[in-house]
Amino acid sequence: MNTRKEIAELVVEQAAACDISLVASLPDNWVADVIREFDHDDRFRHVPVNREESAVGLCSGAFFSGTGSMAVMGASGLMTLIYAITKINYTYEIPMMILATLRGAPGDKAKFHVSNGLYFLPSLDAINLTYEIIDSADKIPLIKRACDHSRTVSRPVVAIMTRDVLRGET
Amino acid sequence: MAIPYRDAFQFLAAKRQEELVVTSAGNSSQMWWDVTKDADKTFYLDASMSMSTLFASGVAYGLPQAKVWAFMGDGAFVMNPAMLMVERDLNLPNFVHILVSNRVYGGTSDLDLPNKPVTDFVAMAKSMGLESCWNFDNMAALEDGFDAAFRGNEEGHRFVVLELDPMNAADHRIEEPPMDGPEIKFRFGRYIEATYGAKVFTHQF
Repeated sequence: MNTRKEIAELVVEQAAACDISLVASLPDNWVADVIREFDHDDRFRHVPVNREESAVGLCSGAFFSGTGSMAVMGASGLMTLIYAITKINYTYEIPMMILATLRGAPGDKAKFHVSNGLYFLPSLDAINLTYEIIDSADKIPLIKRACDHSRTVSRPVVAIMTRDVLRGET
Repeated sequence: MAIPYRDAFQFLAAKRQEELVVTSAGNSSQMWWDVTKDADKTFYLDASMSMSTLFASGVAYGLPQAKVWAFMGDGAFVMNPAMLMVERDLNLPNFVHILVSNRVYGGTSDLDLPNKPVTDFVAMAKSMGLESCWNFDNMAALEDGFDAAFRGNEEGHRFVVLELDPMNAADHRIEEPPMDGPEIKFRFGRYIEATYGAKVFTHQF
């Protein structure tokens, strides 16, 4: 068992290991601690964005400056990005690392995320968006693996974290 | 009043020096290609509905030694005007946001924007705290104000609205940039690597 802060620190260390220095975020409650950790860490420039598409734009452009970047968001935010990812990242073959939450899964008591439980992962599958599900603390190193894979395949890859791991309950 | 679309782009192309350019959804990709034929210092971000200026901000953020211009069609802009909040936070001194305002969806048959005759883009920008804003609706004003608006922006981000006529019928038939996405990516990225020394494609691991 880890505290939420310890989990957040582990996530941030993974990002640092990937040479990520620019983090764009739009919060989901579950990743709020992670976002705060990025915000307080001088190794990163944290940029709060107005909507998730803005994160896609910023991170995709940062690639061309040789700047490692990550977009942090909730599942609902990622659901809004089908167009942005397919039109920008797929068309131009631009890698992007995304950290998202597995909303709507068992354990999420928010009824307004029921739709994510039904359609979130199938939507990612529908556009062949590669993802790794991180459902225990010992899988957090998959973040770096996902980031490296994104650069290998020149496409976005998503690390999807569950409630229990983000809350330090696994 | 409004500036003929081609005249504005020809003027900016003539004034451009080393600036990297990112184009937008709408007509700016077509016209910029037509007047420059630039395949290396320009990223043609077609169909990017509202993402061109933050894309360009990402380029400018990591390359402070470069200067970056980004076109944004007003049809794209109205889909996500709060992008300016992010741009204001970044306040990049090497970046100019060029809003191409012709009050129509130029990439889709020139159909009207909502609120067409009323929207004041500079007022919108100022409401979000942007102070360095310009609006040009005739060529003489653009010629006179170019240096102030586009050069020497060490104090931060600049927002320039160009009030243009929609493209004319002949210009609607000009060629799209004849490159697929990966070619645009590699030409632009290789240019940046060669010019600025950034490691775009190398040393990623």
